[in-house]
Amino acid sequence: MYLTKNQEMLLAGEKGNAIAKMMNLIIKIGEVNNADKLIQIKSAQIAGVSYHTVGDAIFSFFELLSSDKVMVRVPSWLNPAGMDRLRWKEMGVKTTFAEKQFEILKHYEEMGIETTLTCTPYLIGLAPSFGDHLAWSESSAVSMANSFFGARTNREGGPSSLASAITGFTANYGMHKEENRLPETFVKVKAEINTLSDFSALGYWYGEMFGDSIPFFSNLRSFSIDEAKMLSSAIAASGSVPLFHVETKTPEAKNIKITEIENKIIYTEEDKEKVYKHFNQIKDHADLVAVGCPHTSLTDLQLIDEYTQNANIKENIEVWIFTSKLISQNEKASRIIHELEEKGMKIFTDTCMVVSPAISDKFKNILTNSAKAAFYLTRDGTINVNLLSLNEILESVVQ
Amino acid sequence: MKEVLIRSIVDGSVEGPALVSPIPISFFGGINPKTGKIIDSENPLYGQSIADKIFVFPKGKGSTVGSYIIYGLRVNGVAPLAFIANIAETIVIAGAILAEIPLVDQPEEDVLSFIKTDDYIKLNTQKRIISKKE
Repeated sequence: MYLTKNQEMLLAGEKGNAIAKMMNLIIKIGEVNNADKLIQIKSAQIAGVSYHTVGDAIFSFFELLSSDKVMVRVPSWLNPAGMDRLRWKEMGVKTTFAEKQFEILKHYEEMGIETTLTCTPYLIGLAPSFGDHLAWSESSAVSMANSFFGARTNREGGPSSLASAITGFTANYGMHKEENRLPETFVKVKAEINTLSDFSALGYWYGEMFGDSIPFFSNLRSFSIDEAKMLSSAIAASGSVPLFHVETKTPEAKNIKITEIENKIIYTEEDKEKVYKHFNQIKDHADLVAVGCPHTSLTDLQLIDEYTQNANIKENIEVWIFTSKLISQNEKASRIIHELEEKGMKIFTDTCMVVSPAISDKFKNILTNSAKAAFYLTRDGTINVNLLSLNEILESVVQ
Repeated sequence: MKEVLIRSIVDGSVEGPALVSPIPISFFGGINPKTGKIIDSENPLYGQSIADKIFVFPKGKGSTVGSYIIYGLRVNGVAPLAFIANIAETIVIAGAILAEIPLVDQPEEDVLSFIKTDDYIKLNTQKRIISKKE
């Protein structure tokens, strides 16, 4: 692999052992993937934040980095943590967990990483530009960056995105190269796609059926950023799809010759129903509504407000909505959040139902409009979910 | 002595007894970084430690936190001597580099077909070969 003088210097350890290790990590991953060189990245989005998912293993790694006082070289942000930084007690998170979680955040902050704690950086003013090279690791954000924004990032892991943040480089392979971004499957969407959960179901179906091959969706009437967010998150959870195209909607779709796509399939009403049926598991009554996978936008919050006009949440169920701290601090959003809380909902920031231990400790039967959340919540078999549209969910829990 | 060509990802020349997992390994949730023991109940090696063994498996899988688990094995003094895989993916590569554990992959033959647990294996990444005492 070709390395510049500066890159060789970093690899040789002239800026410390930790940086040399991070360079070595990126180069080796590049070599294995036949990369020809390293490229500069514009930003890094780093997973491996919730103590619930990283455990104690990460602390010995932090020690390695802090011994060299390593700092990130590009704007870098964190994925959600295991709890709301202010309201963790209210979530039922234990003090021992909270202490470890704060320690993890402190280590990242010391490296100059912003504790945005969100899976949707593109909703808080951190959207990438067309053609930007990135090292992002949250799978739904990777899919959004590539598909909706036309930026370029592989599905990085926590360690590799952190290595890229520290060195400023990633290896030139996979999604960074034009020739790897062409669709392999043409999907004619015949089913009605109206709600956010319909977009989520479509993504889930495709990821499960076709794994990691890049799709080209045709016949979608609308494709707002929130709709794209639902499709992206589900397709990257049930499969490992880093990129998709949507006819007339996504930036790279116009250059694609549809006739050259070999594999052609149809997404039917029955396919859609199958996804909803798969996630229709609750036998008795639901104890939690969980919305905000990926994190809710201002528009999502407005929609929730609209669906619950002049109503209050029933006594026997909790409604938890997850968003980012920055969205919650928006003037309009904070007014809506205040109203939603008055109606009996809880709006938590910094975390979500997928990475917080509070969910499985407390709840058994969960209503959600996210197929990604449904997929992860049900993985170890202790939780049942129903996948429904936001409107259906909220209608069923208000009085 | 049987010799097989491999690709070297993290260099190192070591030798020792093999421990062979017949199924893909998720280091996160599959191995305890404090003890080196396999804690995935679906793995036939359940309860055995990979410490000081040549750990052989078809490929890695699961969360990328697995890389930090591999680093933890080194810090806690229970690292394996080396990794041999059919396919090394990003999780194992990142972990092996951080922990400085020799890692080779892409053997000419399926590792599961020619290495059995307790075989005595020698890694020579200079020559890009692994050898087995017959």
